[in-house]
Amino acid sequence: MLEQYLSRMGWFALLVGMQVFVFNHVHIFGYATPFPYIFFLLSLPSATPRWVYVLLGFALGLTIDLFTNTPGMAAGATCLLGLLVPPLLRLFGPTDAEEEAFTPSPRSMEWGPYVRYVVVASLLHGAAFFAMEAFTVREWQSLLATVGASGLLTSLLVISLHLISHRK
Amino acid sequence: MNNLIDFIRKYFFVLLFVVLEGISAWLLFGFNSYHGSVWFTSASGGAAAVARLYGDLVSWANLQEVNAELTAQNISLQRETELLRQALTDATRDSSLTERLVQQKLQGYETVAAKVVANSAERAANYLVIDKGEADGVKPEMGVVGGGGVVGIVYLTGPHHSLVIPVTNRKSSISCRVRGQNYFGYLQWDGQSMLSAYVDDVPRYAKVRIGQAVETSGYSAVFPPGIFVGRIRRIRNSADGQAYRLDVTLGTNFANLRDVAVISTPYKAEIDTLRAQAIELEE
Repeated sequence: MLEQYLSRMGWFALLVGMQVFVFNHVHIFGYATPFPYIFFLLSLPSATPRWVYVLLGFALGLTIDLFTNTPGMAAGATCLLGLLVPPLLRLFGPTDAEEEAFTPSPRSMEWGPYVRYVVVASLLHGAAFFAMEAFTVREWQSLLATVGASGLLTSLLVISLHLISHRK
Repeated sequence: MNNLIDFIRKYFFVLLFVVLEGISAWLLFGFNSYHGSVWFTSASGGAAAVARLYGDLVSWANLQEVNAELTAQNISLQRETELLRQALTDATRDSSLTERLVQQKLQGYETVAAKVVANSAERAANYLVIDKGEADGVKPEMGVVGGGGVVGIVYLTGPHHSLVIPVTNRKSSISCRVRGQNYFGYLQWDGQSMLSAYVDDVPRYAKVRIGQAVETSGYSAVFPPGIFVGRIRRIRNSADGQAYRLDVTLGTNFANLRDVAVISTPYKAEIDTLRAQAIELEE
């Protein structure tokens, strides 16, 4: 149990570090900035209480904000994602294991639902993040392109991270 | 009452969510002014250290680009320095004795000052390009002189540039004489050195000595008589053994020739030549 907590804290630090040092400086075609740190929320076990999701999401976003001078933006978006992950898990998760706890992964959910889960979560997070950013001037077409591109890039990275971390 | 507590316990996460989103919004809208957010954002110690580390990394990664930019800047500055130095030399140059003599000879002639813009130094056929052309009154067959004496003859003219056949071209043939004597020959180039040419067909009874000056004879409409060409370096027999061939060290240094003058007064040289011949006849 303790080992699991430590591992999660390690992931937290690692994801924040990668975001601050690498991914925040990626702007593919001027649009797509990936946010693979949401992998932290997406890989929490399904039995986690919902308030923990919300709180961890907020904490994660706030840490990112702290290092990137975007007060409130990542915090708000990630907090919202924390609220939405459990319903998404119910939506895409295995139907027969309704009451059983599981860790989201292609093995526990099948590939199709897992990929859809990651993509939808990435898009929602991206939409929330860029909608907050878009209180500055921005046209909605470019906003859509940004959300779409960032969402897809984030999904790819999250799935890659999953594969890397679960390699046997 | 129990129901209420159950309700709150069940939907605690929604309450938490609303509170945290409220905090986010407050941060987003309340702290977007820079000064208010200084305590929270990068100015606070740890985050500032991370940001500085990142900045260092980026500047290190950009060193190559910075280097290239600096090199380019350096080159352009060097070129500017060179231009300025050239301008300074032009402005403060002290004219040599030969140059003053040439200028004296050319008094009364109209000249067009020009700069050499291209100077080919191929062995067989050297050409000069000067930056004055028809628009400035330069025509083919006009003589060109420089600070060191005779340079050559205009061969082709364009609107703003002209091609000059210098003395150091095998096609060049300029009528010359030894100063103080009237025996003349044609100055030609042997294709060897940019610093020397020769005058052929000087009669054996001419009293020439090494070191005497060679000047234009005036037996053409191109140059007025008496313009310095060079000095005799060596006296040899000509190919047929009937006459002397004088090796001449040229007064003009073609390797660094820059400022020249085109003699543009029409017929003046011709008239002067006629006058000189008349005086000779009278003596």
